[in-house]
Amino acid sequence: MKNLRNCAALLLTLGLGASLTACKDPLNIQPQQSVDASTALSTSTKVGSAVVGIYAKLDDPALYGTNLVLLPELIGGDGYVSWQGTFQSYREVSRRTLIRTNTEAERTWARAYEGINQCNLVLEALPVVADTALKSQYAGEARFVRGALYFELVRLYAQQYRTSDAATQPGVPLALVANRTVGQVDAPLPRATVAAVYNQVLADLRTAAVRLPVDNGTRATRYAAKAMLARVYLQQGNYVAARAAADEVITRSGKALAATLASVFSNKNSAESLFEIQQNDQNNAGTSNDGLATFFASDGGTGRGDVRVLSNFSSRYEPNDARGEDTVSAGQTKKLIYVGNGNRPGFLRSIKWRQYGQNIPIIRLAEMYLIRAEADVRANNTTSALADVNLIRARSGASPLTTITLQDVLNERQLELAFEGFHIHDLKRTGTNIVVNATTTLPITAAKLVLPIPQHDINVDPSLTQNTGY
Amino acid sequence: MKQKLVTHFRLLLLLVACLCSATAWAQTNAVSGRVVGSDGGAVPGATVIERGTSNGVSTNADGAFSLSVQTGATLVISSVGYTAQTIPIGNQSVINVTLAASTTQLNEAVVVGYGTQSKQDLTGSVTQLSSKDLASQPVVSFEQAIQGRTPGVQMTQSSGKLGAGLQIRVRGSASVTASSQPLYVIDGIPVTSQDVGVVNDEPINPLADLNPNDIESISILKDASASAIYGSRASNGVVLVTTKKGRQGQTRVNVGYYVGTSTPTRKREFLNAAQYKELFSEAAVNVRLDPKDEFEASGIDINSKDDVNWGDQAFRRGHVSQYDLNVSGGDAKTRFYLSGTFNDQTGIIIGNRYRRGSMRLNLDHSLSDKLRVGLNLSLTRSVNDRTPDDNSFSNPVQLNALPPLQPIRDPKTGLLNSNTLYYNNLLDLDLGFNRAGTYRSFSNFNLNYEPIKGLVLRTETGADFLNLNEDLYRGAGTLDGGSTGYGYNAQSQVINYTTNNTATYGFTLSENHRFEALLGQSFQRSDTKQTAAEGRGFPTTEFTRIASAAIKTGGNSSTGTGFSFTSFFGRVNYAFRDKYLLSASVRRDGSSRFGADNPYGTFGAGSVGWVISEESFLKNNSLVNLLKLRASYGSTGNAEIGNFDSRQLFSSLPYADQSGTAPNNRIGNPNLTWETSKQSDLGLEFGLFNSRLSGEVDVYEKKTTGLLLDRPIRYTSGYRVISENIGALRNRGLEITLNGRILDGDFKWNLGGNISFNRNLITSLPQEIVSGGRNLGRVRLGEPIGVFWGKKYAGVNPNSGSAIYYTTEGDTTSNYTAAVDQKLGDPNAKFTGGATTSFSYKGLELSVLGQFVYGNDLYNVAGVFQSVNGDYFDNQTVDQLNRWRKRGDITDVPQARLYDGNGTNASSRWVQSGSFFRFKTVTLGYTLPLDFVQKYHMQSLRVYVTGQNLFTLTKYTGYDPEVNTTSFNGTSATSPGRANYLLGHDFYTPPLAKTFIVGLNLGF
Repeated sequence: MKNLRNCAALLLTLGLGASLTACKDPLNIQPQQSVDASTALSTSTKVGSAVVGIYAKLDDPALYGTNLVLLPELIGGDGYVSWQGTFQSYREVSRRTLIRTNTEAERTWARAYEGINQCNLVLEALPVVADTALKSQYAGEARFVRGALYFELVRLYAQQYRTSDAATQPGVPLALVANRTVGQVDAPLPRATVAAVYNQVLADLRTAAVRLPVDNGTRATRYAAKAMLARVYLQQGNYVAARAAADEVITRSGKALAATLASVFSNKNSAESLFEIQQNDQNNAGTSNDGLATFFASDGGTGRGDVRVLSNFSSRYEPNDARGEDTVSAGQTKKLIYVGNGNRPGFLRSIKWRQYGQNIPIIRLAEMYLIRAEADVRANNTTSALADVNLIRARSGASPLTTITLQDVLNERQLELAFEGFHIHDLKRTGTNIVVNATTTLPITAAKLVLPIPQHDINVDPSLTQNTGY
Repeated sequence: MKQKLVTHFRLLLLLVACLCSATAWAQTNAVSGRVVGSDGGAVPGATVIERGTSNGVSTNADGAFSLSVQTGATLVISSVGYTAQTIPIGNQSVINVTLAASTTQLNEAVVVGYGTQSKQDLTGSVTQLSSKDLASQPVVSFEQAIQGRTPGVQMTQSSGKLGAGLQIRVRGSASVTASSQPLYVIDGIPVTSQDVGVVNDEPINPLADLNPNDIESISILKDASASAIYGSRASNGVVLVTTKKGRQGQTRVNVGYYVGTSTPTRKREFLNAAQYKELFSEAAVNVRLDPKDEFEASGIDINSKDDVNWGDQAFRRGHVSQYDLNVSGGDAKTRFYLSGTFNDQTGIIIGNRYRRGSMRLNLDHSLSDKLRVGLNLSLTRSVNDRTPDDNSFSNPVQLNALPPLQPIRDPKTGLLNSNTLYYNNLLDLDLGFNRAGTYRSFSNFNLNYEPIKGLVLRTETGADFLNLNEDLYRGAGTLDGGSTGYGYNAQSQVINYTTNNTATYGFTLSENHRFEALLGQSFQRSDTKQTAAEGRGFPTTEFTRIASAAIKTGGNSSTGTGFSFTSFFGRVNYAFRDKYLLSASVRRDGSSRFGADNPYGTFGAGSVGWVISEESFLKNNSLVNLLKLRASYGSTGNAEIGNFDSRQLFSSLPYADQSGTAPNNRIGNPNLTWETSKQSDLGLEFGLFNSRLSGEVDVYEKKTTGLLLDRPIRYTSGYRVISENIGALRNRGLEITLNGRILDGDFKWNLGGNISFNRNLITSLPQEIVSGGRNLGRVRLGEPIGVFWGKKYAGVNPNSGSAIYYTTEGDTTSNYTAAVDQKLGDPNAKFTGGATTSFSYKGLELSVLGQFVYGNDLYNVAGVFQSVNGDYFDNQTVDQLNRWRKRGDITDVPQARLYDGNGTNASSRWVQSGSFFRFKTVTLGYTLPLDFVQKYHMQSLRVYVTGQNLFTLTKYTGYDPEVNTTSFNGTSATSPGRANYLLGHDFYTPPLAKTFIVGLNLGF
């Protein structure tokens, strides 16, 4: 009997004891690699982390990590680059067969607005930052990125800015308030006009240019914002303002052209670089199915060899121009266009995008010279324009020009800034039609040169209107 | 306050238990006897159980048994193939029993939640399968072995990859974005049943870690009455697995072995070199391009003499073999079952192999008449050489896209050709590996204490320990390896521990009123930890560990997550004169997964039964042996959401070397809670003509409200999704099971079958869910889940050769965008089921199981690449040769136009009927005569041959109609995502295997 009682006691101890120990707060289990949004921006340090997160978003392959550079090259890339790869989504962009569910159009749109919302969250969290210098810097960084993303969105998803009709055509939705609740995200957000989006871009970048410090490590600076402003003015055809901004960057930023163009891409944060996406081996846009090097390179085991440089384009370089084509592989060449020896070997490739972990220069000083030159030549100030263009040419060993026209400057832009995401934007702002082949020319206003608004958002938010042609 | 109540309740339970332990002990008697069949022969292995307890033995080779029971006890004697008998002992000490042969085990004990019930007393809908249904089949996991045998439960293998998971739907999909897979409970312990792997998207089925040979029974709880005792996790059904136990009596030794080979159920035919050249040259010319230039631009030599059948390179002849040994037995004090199995399967897909070694010890010991202690312990080691997920260039089936003009090996070097259109993934097998190794242990320690007759206090603590080590290595020269090699190694550890404490009290009042009451408490906690390392830059392919990598790249991580459930439950069963049955159950669950505003929920069910055949007007009637009507209604829940989906969170997002944070793309919802299913069920069970014909019919309606829905939100908000309790759906259905003993003598012929009809309908939905990409699956109001919706393909314009689509009724357009979205098909079957027949004569038996699925549609997503009239250089299926060529051609294959996107967008062009009938299992076996084998000191010897998936009758032109790619699911343990509504999609998915085995079982 005593023995049995012991057994009973054992039973009770084991069974109920186990459960009693577990019941202090059995339902309180916290996530281990996330923090609650309610406290994620509650201190100055935390806001600082979120600001870094904004830059990290920019490196997403849907944004500057790949698509904001690659898509403008592929759209209307006829006679310039061709998409050889197997990804149907890029092939559709390149061949203008894309439909409103195209995954590139969808992810770039989605990630850009994630970045914008994060900028808005940071801007609204600034009151907890006590240090005024830091507060100014964070505000400038958030405004810089928000302005840049709206600029990219309005260029890709809407028609070119036209002063002729006051740019009243549909632009993209403007989200300027941080979303935190279900109610906010369920409210419709229709498209603003192209003019309104550009006004917001200008407001953001002008504020950024005031609030950003001159020196901000590898992050956005005052002159990065001014340089971006120059680019925006140029896209709008506001050449006077573009020249002023570019000139200020050239004369006051302290930046200088790097010794070779190749070094701007192979080295990180060169003297020429005004704003550059930082990458390393651990954190980059992708090494097998995403990333610029993945698509552009065909260099031994690196790259898929998906973007081919066409000889129609590469033959426009002078033979001695270091930016032009070579007949050897990436490992051997000293020029910028090489013959691939990895995947899809034997075709011309650009060496600008060669390593998975390389930085991605977004704004560099050479562009400012070319903007100033273009504005000058449009204002018939050819001497200054000639000097700027020849400075760029001389660096790469191209022979100096003796006379200069607008077409010369635009040509130089293409040669210098090739594969860096300028192609279709330049064609659109200069109204240059696309020569598809000997018999076919596509008007630059063609519908399929504008990306579709993702069908996903039109399904969810009926206030959004689709672009024509989709 | 709630916490205090919980504590008080526990104290009360403690008190009740203490009081009970103080009461007097009852008397015991010894009984013995012999069990024979209606033919007079001994029935060895019959189960003799004291009713209302778990006290029991099994008969020895002579059919003899002996057992200690309490005074006034009733014995239940049962054996597979015989009608069970219930015998009150009274004053007898010797009991001899004659069992009548039966195909319906009317009185068989059915495992239910936290207990067992006799089939006759059951008022819920439960399908139970026995070890016999699982024995000696060449499968990896036990669910594969019961396909076609489970009315109301549809089981679909997603592919022929070894170790892949099955999609299991108990009475239809009860959820849209939360998991619709049932809860699995092994020996009382809920186990990890969802993939926990992190390497690519190919899920590993954690249930493969349970050796099918160790399973005694599988109970599938289908209606609310049966499942409500599992509360917030029961609405997808509950699968209770019970492992084998030793029984008192002679020690038995069983040894088994089988060996066999396998081939794919079907291969597909692609263009040969001449056809390829013809089609693609024409495609280039049609868009005014030079064929030679375009071939060259894609790296294809148009003048190549090669003619390679790349599609067949993915497959090979597979091998299977299994050794198993088990020993069971025991005496009055101690019973044991121990087993060991080694299973080795080499798959039909190159590189795919699965090996599993497992051992188990199930032990129970009677400390006294009142107190029993038991331990079930198993350890499994499995190694899976995996096939990558379908949407990976490394998936061998994707080789079928390679042009026949490109050689497998470089003729100059003799090495595998690395300059192919798509990646030549044969390189992966040469230069790397992709392996998952698992250690798994299921354990259960339990104590049973019976202080007074009829009252059983049980406490059990169980753990399910899962350790998964995934090792991926791609050497230099492979796609992922690049020039220096790539390695990835992830270690996942999941510990699931559960404690159950129950008190069961069964008693009878004045002969006519039989009661059984259950009260219990349960707590479960699950913790997951994962660590991963990734590296690039290996000196040579001989170095495969990350330690040898020059660069440690971005995949390094260390993460953890977890969840908990705390629950109280109870059940009362009442029977009046064994005729009128009543049952009610209730459960209250709390979970860490639910939102802060809504952590607890209560579920319950009630049911009634009427055993009409016990009424005097039918009793002892040979025409109607059994007629039972039952009805149930109740509510259950589904808590299968991500562990923290209710929360709005920020996670880290590094920017090069700087540490940053960013909000997750899910917006939080503090109201989030379980979804609720209310199910009603009406069932009829019958046995006619001396039980020669028996069956069961159930009709049900399951209405799910407050769906746990991942609702897409506009991207412009900066988020992508929110989890909400919104929307509703309904499943209605009918299940019929019939079994007939057509001939019953020396020559026996049984015929049986089951058929299930289920109709799923979305009855409320805030907004349509579109799976997107090239997929067609959607969730729409007024349609069944996963309905195919999009542009309807109208064939080819005979004048232009362009693909055309329907705009409105009758009109067509070649402008894809202008076509109207409409219903293109339904991936849900109209009915599914199985048919069995078996013949036996003396020791010879032949059994056939057929499985059928009717009325569902399949969508081959890969059609966009492989059956698309030469749009890009992917090799095409031979039917594409039937393309439009000149004005007036009538065909449904458009003109070949290279890169031109003629008919390439997602549409009904690749939707086909998925109906099939399959000879699932055919077994011919011979059991040698007893007197012969006894000469060699054996108890039994059986030899058999089995064929699995022998023939499949289908109109589907893909590899296999039983298909459900997992590639676009975004599956992970925390967000099941699209897995529930992206149904019937095929994407380079490998077919099932057709397998032949020969085997033998020896008993000593």
